[in-house]
Amino acid sequence: MRSRLPLPVVALAALGALFVVLPVLALFVRAPWGQLGDTLSGVGASTALRLSLEVSLGATAISLLVGVPLAWVLARGAFPGRAVLRALVVLPIVLPPVVGGIALLVALGRGGIVGRWLYDVVGVQLTFTTAGAVIATTFVSMPLVVLATESGLRGLDERYERAAAAMGGSSWYVFRRVTLPMIGPQVAAGAVLTWARALGEFGATITFAGNLAGRTQTMPLAVYEARQVDPGGAILLSLILVVLSVAVLVTLGGRLLGVR
Amino acid sequence: MMALAVDLAVTRGDRSIEADFDVAADETVAILGPNGAGKTTIVEGVAGLVPETRGELSLDGDRIDGLAPDRRPIGIAFQDGVLFPHLSALENVAFPGRARGARPRAARAHARDVLARVAPAVNPGAKPAELSGGARQRVALARALAGDPRVLILDEPLSSVDVSARAELRTLLRRTLDAFDGPRLLVTHDPIEAMTLADRIVVLEDGRITQIGTPGEIRAAPRTRYAADLVGLNLFRGTLVPIAGGAGELRTPDGPITVAWPGDVRPAPVDDVLATLAPADVALHAERPEGSPRNVVRGVVEEVAILGDRARVRLHGAPALVAEITTGSAERMGIVAGTEVWASFKAVELRLMVEPIAADTL
Repeated sequence: MRSRLPLPVVALAALGALFVVLPVLALFVRAPWGQLGDTLSGVGASTALRLSLEVSLGATAISLLVGVPLAWVLARGAFPGRAVLRALVVLPIVLPPVVGGIALLVALGRGGIVGRWLYDVVGVQLTFTTAGAVIATTFVSMPLVVLATESGLRGLDERYERAAAAMGGSSWYVFRRVTLPMIGPQVAAGAVLTWARALGEFGATITFAGNLAGRTQTMPLAVYEARQVDPGGAILLSLILVVLSVAVLVTLGGRLLGVR
Repeated sequence: MMALAVDLAVTRGDRSIEADFDVAADETVAILGPNGAGKTTIVEGVAGLVPETRGELSLDGDRIDGLAPDRRPIGIAFQDGVLFPHLSALENVAFPGRARGARPRAARAHARDVLARVAPAVNPGAKPAELSGGARQRVALARALAGDPRVLILDEPLSSVDVSARAELRTLLRRTLDAFDGPRLLVTHDPIEAMTLADRIVVLEDGRITQIGTPGEIRAAPRTRYAADLVGLNLFRGTLVPIAGGAGELRTPDGPITVAWPGDVRPAPVDDVLATLAPADVALHAERPEGSPRNVVRGVVEEVAILGDRARVRLHGAPALVAEITTGSAERMGIVAGTEVWASFKAVELRLMVEPIAADTL
């Protein structure tokens, strides 16, 4: 039998839910539904949506590719400065994204300490490109997959990996066939969070990659721009993001984040 | 010829474990000891899974202690199985083959054969969580064998198996151990398992080997209280002092015991003498016994264990004793835990071990 919840808890919970639900609800109420067709069919919206998906998925893929090994090193490695490295890796979570954008500019921008070399020697410019948007988004969202993976690794019973090693598995084979599958749920949960964070990324992207339609103007940037010329359109674009995010979080999120 | 020679030491923090023993090519050696004695650490050291291990390990004369764990030709059935939860029974058993580079199809075919032999009732597609404890242990055994190892190690193979499945599994273990062509190591805290499955027993207590011998040798001359309890003998240790009438008195911390003076020892006090007394040689009485027995102990029954038609009675007294009587007389005397009884045993029934015993084995 479920215990009955105390009234103060229910009241505060309702207030908390309202706090989140009300703004979203307001979007629906105030949306100029008559404009919906025009906004959806407009080139700007579909381009921004496609770019948002490309950038967020690209950032998630890169985050998984380098974030999972990074988590492994943080969880299992024994080297001086590990605590400092971990702090630096999760720094983007607490850093204002615009600061991240500026840091990326001075590192990878055309005049940046590495970016200058990239431009002069390799001929690659990252600022004002889609690749730049992916990099800015990855910078901000990768810590989430690193944290989730590291916590999965720390919770993994080491006996499984030892058993696999005793049965002839090289360390790479053990990682591939035992470690990774066993922490799969945590990695997937981290990936969903990373993707959700990437989809909403604004500050670092606009600072580092600029706001160029078709190249770096993802949905949040499009909403920001639309707000100044077409407030109704901004609401509709916002709603597209809301629906997309809620759909993904409801179908994947609950299960992967361990909530039924 | 000694196929596996183990001489290892592991130091972890303030805890140290040392083991020096050999296993012949056609022999099963049990490492027997109480929980926490370091048994698993030793076999994991043999397998190369304990980085803190020092010492020498050789197989058929070749040193293998320098090899990484995945290069040692050792198959282990781990305590509690440690089956990979995300892999089916078949993939678990195919793991050693695939890990060592066999083609997946060939490894699976071999795994299917081993599984059919060792765990015929197990559905190869089942995940470990869907299997019973006994079935899991069979799959773990199959997995240990599937890599065609030269050394087989079974770590507490019966501990996570419920009692009803134990007898059958023990038979399978016996058959598997006997059929295995190479040194076998069995880790257990269960004396019955060690006695019935092993050719020789290494008794390990608190990180040190206290005795190595065949089950018969250990039963006849246990070196420690643990080993004596294990094989059901009373063990006393003390200073042997000659007394009148060709007898001796063994002065133990729990009180004196009268013994027959050993014929080949000159009548003078001897330190560190061990005496064993078979529980069947201890008689129990409701009243203080009259007559010949030199040793009479008053005590309170702590525990009565029924083994077939025999009752093993653990007595709290000075000294503490284990007596074995028929269940009939136990019933007649109304012996249950808490009963106060008298125990007597004859001086001549005590077996003395007067030879000097190194202090660190006790």
